[in-house]
Amino acid sequence: MDRRSFLSGAVAAVAASSLDPAYGFEREGSRRILVFSGNQPVPILDPHQRYDWSTRMMQRCLYDALVRYEGTPARIIPWLAERWETSADGLRWTFHLTDKARFHDGTPLDAEAVRFSFERGLRLNKGISWMLSRHLKPENVEAMDARTVRFTLERAYPDFLAFLPLWFVVNPKQVLANQEGDDHGQKWLTNAEAGSGPFRIRRWDGQGVMALEAVPDYWKGWPMAEPDRPAGVIYRVVREAAPRKAALQRGEVDVAANLTPDDIEGLERMPAMEVANVPGAAPFAIMMNTQKGPTADLNLRKAIAHAFDYEALLTIHKGQARLMDGPFPVVTADRVALDMPRRNPDLAKAYMAKTAAPEGGFELEYLHVAGLEVQRQIGLVLLAALQPLGIRVNVVAQPWPTLVGRGASPETAAAMTAVYVTPVTTSPDTVASQYASSAAGQFWGIHHLRDAEIDRMVEEAAVELDAPKRAALYAAIQRRVVDLQPVIFCMTANQQWAMRNYVKGFAAQPLNLTGEVDLFPLYAARA
Amino acid sequence: MLRFLARRIGYLALMLGGLVLVTFVISNVTPADPAALAAGPDATPAMVATMRQEYGLDRPLPEQFARYVGDLLQGRLGRSIQTGNAVTEDLLRYVPASLQLVLLAMGFACAVGIPLGVLSAVRRHSLFDHAVRVLAVSGVALPAFWIALLLQLVLAVWAGWLPTGGQLSIAADPPPVLTGMVLLDSLLAGQWGTAGDAAAHAVLPAFVLSLPCLASVLRVNRAEMIEVLGSDHVTAARAHGVAPRRVVGLLALKNAMLPTLAIIGLRFGWMLGSTVLVETVFDWPGLGLYAVNAAIAADFKPVMGVTLTIGLLFMLANLLVDLAYGWLDPRTRGA
Repeated sequence: MDRRSFLSGAVAAVAASSLDPAYGFEREGSRRILVFSGNQPVPILDPHQRYDWSTRMMQRCLYDALVRYEGTPARIIPWLAERWETSADGLRWTFHLTDKARFHDGTPLDAEAVRFSFERGLRLNKGISWMLSRHLKPENVEAMDARTVRFTLERAYPDFLAFLPLWFVVNPKQVLANQEGDDHGQKWLTNAEAGSGPFRIRRWDGQGVMALEAVPDYWKGWPMAEPDRPAGVIYRVVREAAPRKAALQRGEVDVAANLTPDDIEGLERMPAMEVANVPGAAPFAIMMNTQKGPTADLNLRKAIAHAFDYEALLTIHKGQARLMDGPFPVVTADRVALDMPRRNPDLAKAYMAKTAAPEGGFELEYLHVAGLEVQRQIGLVLLAALQPLGIRVNVVAQPWPTLVGRGASPETAAAMTAVYVTPVTTSPDTVASQYASSAAGQFWGIHHLRDAEIDRMVEEAAVELDAPKRAALYAAIQRRVVDLQPVIFCMTANQQWAMRNYVKGFAAQPLNLTGEVDLFPLYAARA
Repeated sequence: MLRFLARRIGYLALMLGGLVLVTFVISNVTPADPAALAAGPDATPAMVATMRQEYGLDRPLPEQFARYVGDLLQGRLGRSIQTGNAVTEDLLRYVPASLQLVLLAMGFACAVGIPLGVLSAVRRHSLFDHAVRVLAVSGVALPAFWIALLLQLVLAVWAGWLPTGGQLSIAADPPPVLTGMVLLDSLLAGQWGTAGDAAAHAVLPAFVLSLPCLASVLRVNRAEMIEVLGSDHVTAARAHGVAPRRVVGLLALKNAMLPTLAIIGLRFGWMLGSTVLVETVFDWPGLGLYAVNAAIAADFKPVMGVTLTIGLLFMLANLLVDLAYGWLDPRTRGA
């Protein structure tokens, strides 16, 4: 028994006998404050600078966007915008705003605030900017009147709407009042907010505890009955999984994200605990260097893909995962299910026979992020799977920055690199672009694939307004990607959160990033 | 004594210069690209270029180094890509928390380690002595990470006596910032409830951090005491009928304290470095946690800032030890 198993077992045994059934949430008068815990801090809160999972989770509490994603499968619903229309040529998008929305300082949220926010996001050229910068110039966002805002795109882009849930609207009055030089209020918005969302900041330490208080008269209204409406919500950062689990057991937190499969299994058996287990949308992929070294040979990539033991991925995840049936994540529009490579030793040997070294006798590096146990175990599966082909696998763990840095060039990229591909929207253009030559060297393009046919189809599909034609193009891209095998398409692990059983209102959303939860509908049920 | 002090300060300046050079070189030989990481996985090349320009990473390395040293001489440590703040601003926020932890741990290690070392030496080969030696070996041998998790499990989760982590309970009313050390600030503000809460939060991390130091102090002190107690002048004092307590407390302990002081000085710097592990497990918002977050993001300016701060504090602690040495034993002033 290893140390981890011993500790997990001991925690489970102890907790089973000592778990305090009392409520763990904080209180303020008769109202409750739920405490959520995850592993990642929120050093920069500015919605136009960052959008990693913990940051976006907080941004969603404090800000509103024109539209938002809801439900499974994810669909766009109106939010600040009550309705919208598109011109026939797909260039002009006009949004009609609600007249109810107010910023936290009482200022009405109008079309000028929307225009200001998009202009700011584009001019800063950080964070979310990549989503629209190719298609929209800052000066082409216009406030037509107080309730109407119009976007004129450089070229038709049917995916435009898919990105808008990540473009939050800031209060121009507050941002301008707190501007330092020409910083567009960046320094101030690092740990302050200028939003209209359901919560406002009460206490902010982006590295530790972020306490938000509810806006009682939130313009959109609250989804729960008034007596259940929380007084606020707290995000507490606990870096390590074991202490996070301990804090949940002890009642210091009510909901915990980023727990290990072993922790989840233990917590699931405990009284007063519940586990939310929902299919995830972030595929795990092993990207192969298509430009340098042995994996530049398509036959070798095919041999590896057919030698790999896919079923072992499910075992590693204790069944809480599903194998990928195409290169696009399940949330992506125009995705097609394809006949993917599965373990077939004979076929693997047949492909191997077509390579320059049919008997193997060489070594391939498998690079993964240091400290991620699941990725290490997958490396061991790869090691065992490639042994019959005469290929030695060197499983190497390196820090995340080093892994990304090495992947920037085919000269330094490992033969195989473990990567989680996190979709942030339903846009097929974003995912397809990851296989275009322009992506080579960027994080999602560690495979360095260069294929003129894919490049052409990606460009065509991005601007195609005819839905069936567009779907056909994306289907062709997906088939071409599988044919070229730049990646071993592995699995999508379930997203899991553990929580006290009094926590209600938990709503899974497949586009939630990593440990992200929509904190707006959460509340503690009364005894 | 003044010449001795001037020479030590000169060494300190030289070592700091070396440290600056080494940390800068190490930070820049890794293949990581801080600008690309900060810009995010989907960033366009133009976005990465914006980040690079904003943080001066587009300049040639010698120019970056010259700028860094120039800034350093003016007390500036650059800007963190991760937090967007000036590194000095961040350090001023996080150093007091770590310092509080280290001072508590050091105080505990000395308060327990020195008396145990003395008693162990006086009762050499007794059951007590054996037990203390086991403690000393364990304190050094057991990994801090493991002890931290175990204590968290037993004292926080199981017994429920202590909190699992953090510096204050979420519901606690933070004291006004005077020193930045929450415990001290709570006491100064007369917020006794908050002070109690802060003390409870500090117990586990300070204890875990203190263990290797406690073990070292104990072992060195015991060994020195045994040697001093067997020396001629102590035997002579005993023969002249000096009371045993006086022999141990004044004659022997004063002489045995010299190497112990050296260990305390060395361990001070070591403890600051160890906060990385302890603060991560206990989510203590200090220098170590700041360094970890920065290192994960390849945010080199904070990493260099933390290294320099720890290096400087380490050197200052050793300078104090050297001065104490010179005061206790004037013969060492010429060394």
